[in-house]
Parts: sequence; C-alpha cells; structure tokens
Amino acid sequence: MSLSEAVLVFVVLAPGVVFGVFALLWLLGWTPGERVVSRITGGTFSACTLGVSGLFWKLAFGGEPRVVVTFGNWFAVHDYRFPLVLMVDHLSLPFLAMTVLLSGLIGQFSATYLHRERGFFRFFVLLHLFAFGSLLAFAAGSFDLLAGGWEIVGITSVLLIGFFQLRSAPVENGLRVFAVYRACDIGLLVGVFAMHHWAGTALFSSGFPMLRGGHAVIVCLLLLLAASGKAAQVPFSGWLPRAMEGPTPSSAIFYGAISIHAGAYLLLRVHPMLAQSALASALVILIGAATAIHGTIVGRASADAKTSLAYASLTQVGVMFVEIGIGWTNVAIAHVLGHAMVRTMQFLRAPSMLHDDHQMHSAIGDEVTPAGWQLEDLLPERVQLWLYRWAFDRGHLDTILDRWVVHPLLEVSRHLANLDRIGSPRVASRSRQVAISLPDPVSQGGD
Amino acid sequence: MPHPRWIPDARFLVGVAIAVPWLAALLVATYRRRTRIISFLAALISVVACALLLEIAPPGESLYHALMLLFSCLTLGATLVLPRRDCGPAIISGILFILGSTLLAYSADNLLILLAAWILSAIPFFLPRWCQADTWRPRAALLVSAIALGLAIALIAASSNAISIENLKGRSPGGNAAFGLLVTAVVFRKGILPAHAWVADAAEGGPTIPTALLFNGHFGALLVAKLIVPLFATTTVKLFPILSYLALATALYIAIRALTENSPRRLLAFLALSQSASILAGLESQTAEGITGALVHWFVVTVSTVGLFGILRLLEVRFGENLTASKHLGLAEHAPRLAVSFAVFGLALVGLPGTLSFCSQDLLIHGTLASHPLTGLLLPIATAMNAVSVFRLFTRLFLGKRRTGFTAVMDALPRERWVLAVGMLFVVLGGLFPNVIVAQRSAEADTLLGAIHTRTSSVPVSSKSRPPILQWLYAHPGKKPAFKSAELDASKMP
Repeated sequence: MSLSEAVLVFVVLAPGVVFGVFALLWLLGWTPGERVVSRITGGTFSACTLGVSGLFWKLAFGGEPRVVVTFGNWFAVHDYRFPLVLMVDHLSLPFLAMTVLLSGLIGQFSATYLHRERGFFRFFVLLHLFAFGSLLAFAAGSFDLLAGGWEIVGITSVLLIGFFQLRSAPVENGLRVFAVYRACDIGLLVGVFAMHHWAGTALFSSGFPMLRGGHAVIVCLLLLLAASGKAAQVPFSGWLPRAMEGPTPSSAIFYGAISIHAGAYLLLRVHPMLAQSALASALVILIGAATAIHGTIVGRASADAKTSLAYASLTQVGVMFVEIGIGWTNVAIAHVLGHAMVRTMQFLRAPSMLHDDHQMHSAIGDEVTPAGWQLEDLLPERVQLWLYRWAFDRGHLDTILDRWVVHPLLEVSRHLANLDRIGSPRVASRSRQVAISLPDPVSQGGD
Repeated sequence: MPHPRWIPDARFLVGVAIAVPWLAALLVATYRRRTRIISFLAALISVVACALLLEIAPPGESLYHALMLLFSCLTLGATLVLPRRDCGPAIISGILFILGSTLLAYSADNLLILLAAWILSAIPFFLPRWCQADTWRPRAALLVSAIALGLAIALIAASSNAISIENLKGRSPGGNAAFGLLVTAVVFRKGILPAHAWVADAAEGGPTIPTALLFNGHFGALLVAKLIVPLFATTTVKLFPILSYLALATALYIAIRALTENSPRRLLAFLALSQSASILAGLESQTAEGITGALVHWFVVTVSTVGLFGILRLLEVRFGENLTASKHLGLAEHAPRLAVSFAVFGLALVGLPGTLSFCSQDLLIHGTLASHPLTGLLLPIATAMNAVSVFRLFTRLFLGKRRTGFTAVMDALPRERWVLAVGMLFVVLGGLFPNVIVAQRSAEADTLLGAIHTRTSSVPVSSKSRPPILQWLYAHPGKKPAFKSAELDASKMP
C-alpha cells in the first residue's frame, strides 16, 4: 500500500475508530470529560485535514487521476460481490475536504456551544459517526459501499434531530425524517441491485457501469429518488424544517453543508449515466427548479432564523440539481463548496442573529433596508395573499403527503388491526383501550 | 477435515446436547430450587456439545450444527438474563424443554423424529401455567401445523416405505398432497398469512423470553430447508413460488400492521415475523445470493429478536408490564445502556450498515429481486416500514420526558450487560467481518441449490411463458448464471 493509499484509508477510518473507542468506553462505564473529547476531536479532524491536503497534492501535482485502495470483497457469493474499494478522484476530493474541514470546525465550535450540555458526549460520538459515514459515502469506489455510508449519515442525522430527547417534538420530528429517509433509500437499494443485475457490477473505481436505454433510465430514476430524499427536494422537502429541531451545530453541518449535498454528490457520481437519459435529466432539472422556486417562496414566509436558512439551502440545492441536469457538473461542484461554507457560517451565527441585528441598528442608527428584489410586490394583492398562505403551509407538501400517503397507510394498518381482532375478544378490548390514547405516530409534533 | 480423536462421536454429542437439557428440565420441575444454576449448567453443556459438533462437521453441511450452537448459546444467555421473578420451575423447565426439542429438530435425520420434535417443542404452549394467552389462536395454529406435518409424514411413509430423510431426497414422496400438507405446516407454524395472528397473541400472553426462543427456533424455515427443498426438488421449482409470494405478502402485510400497534410485545412479534418471513422468500429464490442471504438472516433475526424481547422483559420488570408505544416514556434516562442495546438490536434487525443484517438484507434483496423482480420489490418496502416501526418503538419507550416516581431503578445489571454485549458483538462484528459467516452459509446454500438444480432437468421458470415486460426485466446481460449446468454442482449433491 502506497503512502497516498494509506492516507486515504486513515482519513476515512479515523473518525470511525474514534466513534468505536468512545462508544466502547461508554459501554464499559467510563465517559471521557469534555476537554478530552474536544481535544481528541480536534486532533482527529486536524490530522484528517492534513491527510486530505496530501491527497490534494497527489492528485493535483502527482499526475494521477485517482487514488484507489482495494481491500478485496467484503463478502461474496458466487458472481455477486460486495467490493471494499475506496477511491478519491476529482469529484470526491472536494467533498472529502469539505467534510473533514467542516466537521473539525463544528467540533471546535460545539466544544464551547454545548459546554455543560447534558448530551455533550453523545453529540461528539454522533459527530464522529456522521463524519465516518459521510467520508465512506464520498470515498466509496462502488455504489454498494456508498449505500452503506449513506445509511449511516441518515441514522446519525435522525439521532441528532432528536438530540433534545426530553422534548417530544424533536423526537417525533426525527421519526418523521427517518421515515422519509427510509422510503427514499429504497430507490438506492433497488438502483444498486439493478446495476448488479444489468451491468454485472456496481463498481465505479475502474470505469462506470454503463447501462443503456430503458435500463439506464430506470437506474437513474431510482437513484434520483434517493438523492431527492436526502437533499429534501420536492416533494420530500417537508422534513427539512422539522430537522431544525436539532442543536445548531448539527443543523449547520447536516443541512447547511454535508448531508444536504449528498444527493447532489450522488447525481454527480452517476452523471455519466444520467447524461445518456434525456428523460432522467429533464426530471432532475424539473425537480431542481421546482425545489428552488418552492424554497425561495416558502423561505420568505418563515418566521425563525434556522428555518429561513434551511429553505435558503433548499433553494441553492435545487439550483445545483438544475446545473447537474443541464450537465454543468464543474459549476455544480463549485456551487456545492461555496454554498456549504457560507451556509455553515450562517447557521453557526443564527443563535446570535438578534444580537447582530441590534448591533447593526446601533451602528447605522436607523432601520436596516431590506436587500434583494421583492418581486412578489409586483403581484396582485389577492395573489400575494394566496401565495403567503401557500408559503406559510410550506407549499402544502406535508399536508399532501399526509393526506395521500401517511393517513391512508395508517388507515389500512388500523383496518388490518381490526381484522386481527376477529375471534379474539380479549385482545380486541385491550387494543381498543390503547388506540383511544394513540396520537398519530408520524404526524404529531411540529417544529 | 479429519475427525480429531479427542472429540467424541457425533451421535454421542447430539445425544448429550439434547438429553442434558431434558434431564435438567425434569430435575428443575421436581427439585424446584437453584433453577438458574441448573439451567445455566445444562445449557452450557449443550453449548459445548454443539460447539464440538460444529468443529467436526464437514464443510457445506454445517448449517444445522451452527444453528444448534446458536440456539444453545441463546438459551444460555437467556438463563442469565431472565429476571428473578421469571426463574420459577415452570418457565425454566419450559426453556430447557424447548432447547432439547429444538436441538432434536435441527439434528433429526428421520421423519418421525422430526415430527416428535415438532410436537414436543410446542407442548409448553398447551400448559395453562406456562402460557396465559387467552386467545385460542396460538394453540390452534400449533395444533394445525402438527396435524398437517403428521399427515404429510404418514403420506410420505405410506407411499415410499421409508422415513429416512437421506433416502427420500429428490423422490417427491407423497406427491403434491404431501407437499401441500408440508406447506400448510410451514404456514401455520411460521405465522405466514393468513395464519399470522397467533404469533402476536402468543407474544402477548406467554412468558416473554421463552416465547421468543420458541419463535426463533424457526421451525417453518427448518422444514423448508430440511424437508421440502431436498425431498420435493421438482415440485419446489413449480409450486414453491406460491409460498414465496405468501411470505413476501406476509412481510409487507405485517409491516403495515405494525405501524399502528402500540403494545410493545405485539409490535416486536410483528417485526420478528415480518423480518423472518423474508427468510422463506430467500430460500425459495433459487439463487445463491437469496439462499445465502436467507441463511445469514436466520442467524441475525434470531439473535436480534431474542435480544429485543429480552430487553423488553427487563424493562417490564423494572417499570411495570403496562409499557406502551402510544406515548413517550423517557426510559433512557433511567436505563441508558438498555436503551443503546435496544437500538443496536433493533437497527440490526432492519439492516443498519455495520451490522450483519446489512449483508443478509443486501443478499436477500438481490436474491428475491433477481427471481421475482416485481414481487421482490415488496421486501425492501417491508424492511423500510419495519425500520420505521423499530425506531418508533425505540423513541416511544426510551426518549421523551423523564418519568418520575421510580426510585433507584437499575440500568442493566452486570450479568445482563455482559450477555447483551455478547449479542451486540455478534451482530456488529458479524457486520464488520461478514465473510466468515457468509462464506459458510454460501457453501450450505450451494448444497440446497444443488439439490434443486441437479434434480430438475428443465429450466427453473420458463422464460418464454413470461410477459414481455418481465422478460425485459429478467434480462441480465452483464451477469453470468450462478449455475451454468446441473453437472457443475453434482459433486455438492447431498
């Protein structure tokens, strides 16, 4: 194994190892102090940042298009193999750099921000797991491994949304986000299966698994489903404001920087296949454009800082989808990097926004003039009012999902429960007692 | 592998593994004291005997020995985890009785012994002191399955004059009638649609941990792997997909049903049932990936569900038996380690990356989608719903506002903690290094697959009979078939 390969392995595994050690220590009954945790976090991500810098040097000046580390097969059954391949190339390097840099910064910020918070240690454990999942997804050399990292990012995200576990609302919102993630991840699982089935491989470290015609369209559409779910694109945008229940540092890194851009990364990765399918490309553009418009309108009616920022993120990610659909992949990568940095900074400043506003007022000595175009002022008043209502209910997206998906599913479930009760009177009465006090399991709570 | 001299004969080891728990059950029932110690020692002896059996098992034929070891280990763990109030002679002797009967079923090479084990393992459920389920369904389902199996075996014996499984392989004894009766036995014992309701009733009314052990004997899957596939190879190819469709429908049906269930016991039973139904779908898939996935999943589901039921029982003992998933109970504040263990086992049940079930689900989904592209889609959908239900149960039990009124409630005790840690290590280390388990199960899957392919001269499913859209979906230009010809695996014939 060459030095660059070893560095790649270190960068990906280091946060995972720290997570494993922290978790094991806690299970054994020892919880490290805040100072130890923050120093280990700082050290880990500093070392990772140095490692990524080395990889950047290697790719930029070493004349190699990619660094690939092959560990063989994680498991294999006849022709079906789950290869363990890590790869860094010109697409994944910016995402790796963004992940280690921002994770380190968030770690340093949180050491102060969450000082003496009850879940301080839990936050850092989950931060390391999240960084490991993200790095695994971005450095994966196959869609199989990418799916593994993708799922880890999802579960960590949900656990951090429910960080303030003593309140019901964050926990219920975490459950809602988890349900959306799992539903959309079906697209990734079936898409990877379809690649194996039709192309015989899901590896992309040694050339992209090329599919043509209808097969390519199906795989692209399945992966688009997964990407749309993770990037909160229309019609799945409803989970994003719910995710703001988590602590500010996790909102910053998940929904301002890394998790929200994972969908864009997936589409960028699959772009060689996407470019072959006019239908899938058109759908990516359509979804992106719809999300951008939805995000900008709803964001204007949001009353709190974090939700406004979340919708601003959504708008930008929608634009990124449009760029990817058109084929401007380099523009999309640059957009991702710039947006992630700016948005993370904005999220981290969100708790001090009122203080900032007061300072600005004091400095100017007058009202702050709103910046930007207020195009909605050009619309007739009735349309403005309708648009405001529409935006206030976040485009009715959650209402539509609830009415057409969640409630019918729960209704079917209740009917099945009634069927089960036939011939079992004791069970019937007991279950009915419970059902009376039953809050809606997924629609309860707010943000 | 040569048989080391210091290891006793296989028959002797099987005898020890089965007889010791049974004798211990009798001892506990009569002596009525030191029940935990006696059961622990008996289970430990079983574990050692099963480990030695696995050591001397030939490669590719170690499935049942591995299952025996797994089940005896689970029983050993259960004897340690059982709360003191559950250590009465009735429950302990029932557990040991189930252990002996299950090991007998796994090791049976004879139809009558299999039938005896099938009936014996269900006997505790007919004892009113042991199982307090007020509904008639658990007993009815177990009875119907035993009658169906008994009739099938009678038919097989009458038509072929043989009861040795080895001698009957590939002969389709008893024809479609025997096949139908065996499938009926599987449907009722496993809780496949429409005979699914008894599983939740039993979980709610029976003692938690022993009932979980009974479910996780997976006798339905055992019957498929041990009897139906090897004996009815030709019929399996033609008719078995019906059972597969039923299993997939069960997985989805139960997953939907679980979404609004608020009794933790019933909810866990539904989750276990839905996830284990996919084992049957995998066994039927006739692909190496599907069968291997099913066999690995068998192990994961067994460990995870016993772990989950065990933790639930520990919570019931600490916080009362009226736990519900209809509101947030905030128990993580009192029992953080039980909360983490529950999360790990729960997420391991539904395919979290880093656990063994991620690999088994991956293989299962590939296998079922490869053999049934449209119906196979039900499996990932059902798994996604189950994940939501597991997470809902976790959040409702453990998160939310802290309950007041409990005084000095203990988190996991050391003996509980170590047992749970071993279970978690199994699912996590198995997930990090899955090839150790997958490679062994793959060899056993080849044996099963070879039994089907070498005994059927025709193509498994006629591709020309499919509609054009399915032919297009089935097309896989980039992939070679797992078995090019029947002769290829003739050497692996059982």
